[in-house]
Amino acid sequence: MELVLVSLLGGALALDGTSVGQFMVSRPLVAGSVTGWLLGNPALGILVGAILELYVLVSFPSGGARYPEGATATVVAVASASAVDAPGALPLGVAAGLVWGQVGGLSVSALRRLNGRIVPEPDAPHPGRVALSHPLAVATDGVRGTVVTLAGVLFGRWGVGWLAGSWPLEARDTRGLLLVGGAVSAGVLLRTFGSVRRHRILFAAGLALGLLGARLL
Amino acid sequence: MTAALGRRAVASAFARSFLIQGSWNRRTMLGAGFAFAMLPALRVLSRGDAAALEASLRRHLEHFNAHPYLANLAIGAALRLESDHEDPEAVRRFKTAVRGPLGGLGDALVWAAWLPAVSLAALSLFWLGVPGPVAVVVFLLVYNAGHLGLRVWGFRTGLANGRHVARSLGAAALTRWTERVRSVAALFLGLLCGALLLGEGGLSDAGLPWAGLATAAFAGGVLVGNRLWRPAAVATVAAIALLATWGLAS
Repeated sequence: MELVLVSLLGGALALDGTSVGQFMVSRPLVAGSVTGWLLGNPALGILVGAILELYVLVSFPSGGARYPEGATATVVAVASASAVDAPGALPLGVAAGLVWGQVGGLSVSALRRLNGRIVPEPDAPHPGRVALSHPLAVATDGVRGTVVTLAGVLFGRWGVGWLAGSWPLEARDTRGLLLVGGAVSAGVLLRTFGSVRRHRILFAAGLALGLLGARLL
Repeated sequence: MTAALGRRAVASAFARSFLIQGSWNRRTMLGAGFAFAMLPALRVLSRGDAAALEASLRRHLEHFNAHPYLANLAIGAALRLESDHEDPEAVRRFKTAVRGPLGGLGDALVWAAWLPAVSLAALSLFWLGVPGPVAVVVFLLVYNAGHLGLRVWGFRTGLANGRHVARSLGAAALTRWTERVRSVAALFLGLLCGALLLGEGGLSDAGLPWAGLATAAFAGGVLVGNRLWRPAAVATVAAIALLATWGLAS
């Protein structure tokens, strides 16, 4: 039952990625906390979501681009990490999520090819077909997200269950390893804001505030 | 003008605009989504004339692309043009003319500035020790205030100005807004880096070597740019897989 619920959640969150609304409930930070809450481990869910959010900071859901799918990746990561209580569950869950984000991205590309066959040709604009084909494409996306999540959770839980118990790093080193990967995205993001020189003062001011805040809070 | 369409058709077009990317495809991109959003209003305007309905649907099923939020500007303007019974060729030319700017401006403002800025703010809160659910709620409320505001503004502006939306688009100074939001995002990025370096459960807890590695990774991201993202993610997954296998073997 839990597997069905998690898969349906993945499908629902995946819809927000492109097809429905784009309210950003599909972002890892949100998807992680919702999945964690569903699985009875909200703290783990939001931690996994926050780590994956760091990785996908530079992944913009623009229509034509192929990007890792954050929603299904995060649901898979949280569901995998919560499968066993072992030190390796967190990094292996995150790794499963990163791999499955790419699989999700590939499935979105395949869906777009399928949509090209579903939607009517502009030369044959039958109103009934327009009214039906569009919701059909949306529903297909929901099914795609559900299936991708289900397969990912099965894969992730198998891998985590097999390897998590023999994880060799301590918790603090594990956290360090995961944050180093995320730091690359943060650097890339600063570059995408335009001239680094122009933003250096604001970045430095934020850094000072962050260091101060971390000491005080 | 809204009277010709009826409130229901206008509200329906706005509600359906949330699904505009639902049938995204390489051939017509948002074309089918655009036609789906316009359909209730086109039914009202055609008054049961099937040939007129098909003719108007044809021009809205054609290739169209824009940022999904700013596409509302085009939907609103197209509703206005159709209700004013503008020349079909003028409607086509209008849609062709606006799709580039609506895509470019929207991607720069929303995907490359607003979304990262709000994500960075929420992540900073989380790594500074604010309870996770609070960070998530702040993210959703702030992000969607901007999101829904942009959708409503675009739809109303398009509906009010029709083919003259370019003037409103210019007056809104979206490029200037993009620069401002990027500056705020740079501040939040610094805040996040500070929180990650010294915050609880962050890099200072992990130890100096990890903090040094993360700083080098950040610098690499700044210097190399987006090309480094995928190799970094692959390297992280590979490192985790190797460590797990090594642990299993030993």
